[in-house]
Amino acid sequence: MGEFIGKSVKRREDARFLKGMGKYTDDIKLPKMTHSAFVRSPYAHAKIENVDISEAEKADGVVAIFTGKDACGEYGVPCGWQVDFKNGETMREPKHPLLAKDKIRHLGEAVTIVIAETLEQARDAAELVEVDYEELPAVTDPKKAMEEGAPLVHDDWDSNAAFDWCIGNDRAEVEAALEKAHHVTEMEYRNQRLAPNAMEPRSYIADYDVNGDKYTLYTSTQNPHLIRLLMCAFVLGLPEHKVRIVSKDVGGGFGSKIYHYTEEALLTWAAKEIGRPVKWTSDRSEAFLTDAHGRDHVVKSRMGFDKDGKIVAHLTDEYCGMGAYLSTFAPAVPTYLHGTLFQGVYTTPLIHLNVIAPFTHTVPVDAYRGAGRPEATYLLERIISKGAQEMGMDAAEIRYKNFIPPFDGVEEAGYQTQVALQYDSGNYEAALKKGLERLGYDDFRKEQSEARKNGRLLGVGISTYIEGCGIAPSAVVGALGARAGLYEVGQVRVQPTGKVSVFTGAHSHGQGHETVFAQFVADKLGIDMADVEIEHGDTDQVAFGMGTYGSRSLAVGGSAIIKSIDKILEKGAKIAAHKLEAAEDDLEYASGKWTVKGTDKSVSFGDVALTAYVPHNYPEGLEPGLDFSSFYDPSNFTYPFGTHIAVVEVDADTGAVELQRFIAVDDVGNIMNPMIVEGQIHGGVAQGVGQALLEEVAYDEAGQMITGSYMDYAMPRADDLPMIETENTVTPCPHNPLGVKGAGEAGAIGSTPAVVNAVVDALAHLGVTDIQMPLKPQTVWKAMQN
Amino acid sequence: MKIKGNYKLPASRSVVWDMVMDPEILERVTPGIKELKELSQDQYEAVSEVRVGPVKGNFTGKLSIKDKTEEEGCTLVIDQKSKMGNVVAEIVMNLASSDEGGTDVTYTGEAKMSGTLASMGQRIMSGVVSTLSKQFFKSMEEEIDKRSA
Repeated sequence: MGEFIGKSVKRREDARFLKGMGKYTDDIKLPKMTHSAFVRSPYAHAKIENVDISEAEKADGVVAIFTGKDACGEYGVPCGWQVDFKNGETMREPKHPLLAKDKIRHLGEAVTIVIAETLEQARDAAELVEVDYEELPAVTDPKKAMEEGAPLVHDDWDSNAAFDWCIGNDRAEVEAALEKAHHVTEMEYRNQRLAPNAMEPRSYIADYDVNGDKYTLYTSTQNPHLIRLLMCAFVLGLPEHKVRIVSKDVGGGFGSKIYHYTEEALLTWAAKEIGRPVKWTSDRSEAFLTDAHGRDHVVKSRMGFDKDGKIVAHLTDEYCGMGAYLSTFAPAVPTYLHGTLFQGVYTTPLIHLNVIAPFTHTVPVDAYRGAGRPEATYLLERIISKGAQEMGMDAAEIRYKNFIPPFDGVEEAGYQTQVALQYDSGNYEAALKKGLERLGYDDFRKEQSEARKNGRLLGVGISTYIEGCGIAPSAVVGALGARAGLYEVGQVRVQPTGKVSVFTGAHSHGQGHETVFAQFVADKLGIDMADVEIEHGDTDQVAFGMGTYGSRSLAVGGSAIIKSIDKILEKGAKIAAHKLEAAEDDLEYASGKWTVKGTDKSVSFGDVALTAYVPHNYPEGLEPGLDFSSFYDPSNFTYPFGTHIAVVEVDADTGAVELQRFIAVDDVGNIMNPMIVEGQIHGGVAQGVGQALLEEVAYDEAGQMITGSYMDYAMPRADDLPMIETENTVTPCPHNPLGVKGAGEAGAIGSTPAVVNAVVDALAHLGVTDIQMPLKPQTVWKAMQN
Repeated sequence: MKIKGNYKLPASRSVVWDMVMDPEILERVTPGIKELKELSQDQYEAVSEVRVGPVKGNFTGKLSIKDKTEEEGCTLVIDQKSKMGNVVAEIVMNLASSDEGGTDVTYTGEAKMSGTLASMGQRIMSGVVSTLSKQFFKSMEEEIDKRSA
């Protein structure tokens, strides 16, 4: 622990955010900037028979109108991850044009862009574009998409499957073990589709500068360098060194802003065509229709137990909807970010998961807070609790029986799972024990049975989750189908006056990097936080980077910065030794100065920095300057874990669920800033509770979205949540220098099954063993009546 | 979206039937209708403007009447387009003589909507439809009053 690490330092970025002084893309106004509006399909599946722009072109202020017939339509946005069929067939990867030309494949797909002097003019002119469609039958449910005779999303193939993939032990072996099991628990449900709802909708401004043939795209993205790479190399064929991507303040992403969206490339292309900057900001209705959604798994699963409640085998089949096209991360989400977590925190000896990923006539699905791990955790934590319920065991007891014993990853080896990964370190019992103590589990059970006598329905739900973060070693993700490496870049530039600029390839869209990164940089250099500035989100400033998702910023991005700090201190020691006329080995570095051991002779960090840039009296052969950049490629994922406990009361008359307590014990490794970790957990829990109780994107049979506004899509509000009680256990990550694991998604991963388990527990005596999410009052009430 | 309702009109079945079959009257009593052009027997082109709460838009498209049984009922087929999305509906209307000498009009059908109309939620749309239906019958009543006056 230093002066700043481990302290709840207030977030530097909040001063500007709280005053409304943040600089989001939509706040930027460029000279001669134009505005744009899209004409989007009102159908999920249709032939485009004709697009008539003649009236629109005559409208006031119109600068240009482009349709799928323009040159931009020839290209498409690529997918970033390739997951092949288990039989070896290559993943089916359709073209994803920037504007639809002949065919519409999802509601809201863009047909025409209208560019005008003002936003109002662009929108008015867009209304004058006449598009004739021939509506075609649509399929929106992933399982139905695989039925015989289902409408095809892409005519290039004879079925809707993008791939059919499996992981784990041999299926026959798992099936045989289930046959012999003492008890088999079955579940069949849908992990419903969710809309990510970042507070800031997507916003882009593209600018083309004829001087030097340079492009700048201001974009609300989570991964600026990745967008540049994809757009330059695959979509528009632009020279990468002439394209700058800027994404400074971004108001939430939750995974939905990883995706390289068609609008980003289209605007960049259009800016050159019209020779003026062009802006587009999504409105909320467009966000529902066009932002990548999350989840959408149809699941059938069986878990076998022996007579003591030990898990003997687990077999699962899932249909995971991809949407109409493959978004950047989509294939990885239900496979390598999902199937690899099927071990959970249990010693299950036999595991098999099969995933069929169909195209559907819906907006593409991509990562959403947790990306594959919430879906895995939901299944594991529900089915083990259901198993306990069916076998008359206690939900805590069955978990203790099945836990992987504690291991630190240093003295004891990491835990090799049945599903490809090796866990780094873990102590799962400790987190559960802490959670149960905080709740007062035994007392609660007494209270619950008393309440039942009075007709009150109280329930407790436990979830003991694990997740994979800090994504990850490039060699591993490459073997798993990633088309990019997943290292991170950190540059530390010590200025001549000793002030420090840090450039990170990680991207903050609410996480607080400017604060947390400055905390550990200041501590490692022994200087004041005020002397450290964190820069991110500009490809002209930051050498390279893979961006932020999968709770990777600190574990991977932070480690890259640490590597550069080590290089700074190593070079600094040479300069210090020269100045102090001492041997390097005789120096020690602490509190911002090099001291000759056992003496009071010292030289400060600032003096060394100045000497590095004014090298009049300088070590022979040493380069001037104090500026290092490092790439850090971790040796493994990190594996945060914990226990979430929910206490609910169900209204016996209406089925309404009141979440009364929520206890989150999270082990995210070493903690740099407890306040920020707590904030991340709070936000994640709110989203997880949202999925459990409220949220669902619903399409009707024709592919029309019937939850396209906040009137029908229920977001969690403050009064849906109790004060979240947070606790931590600390099991450091053994393989990164800060010992950190990641905290961004834990809340959303652990909480959902805890809440559903609690509701089922409240109704267990009525014979209820499962309820389909979201647990709306009418759904719960119906379950109570059966 | 299901559409269902009934209304009592103070006129005989034959009067009501004649009114419903008269494009001029329909143009007057249907809320928001700006133009109703007869294309052929029972086939019309309609231009209308709907403004109810958050639902505002200009609709154009076809209206047709089929399955006519004189003084008993018919089916109204609606196919309207707007920038907010399109509406396709089939509504079956039945006329029955009521005890008080009037006519019980019952209607039932289903409307399929697309685009913003669909995503804005059925709750709003069913409210809009019920408001429009009430306005329609209210105007019919006024028309009947005028005739008897």
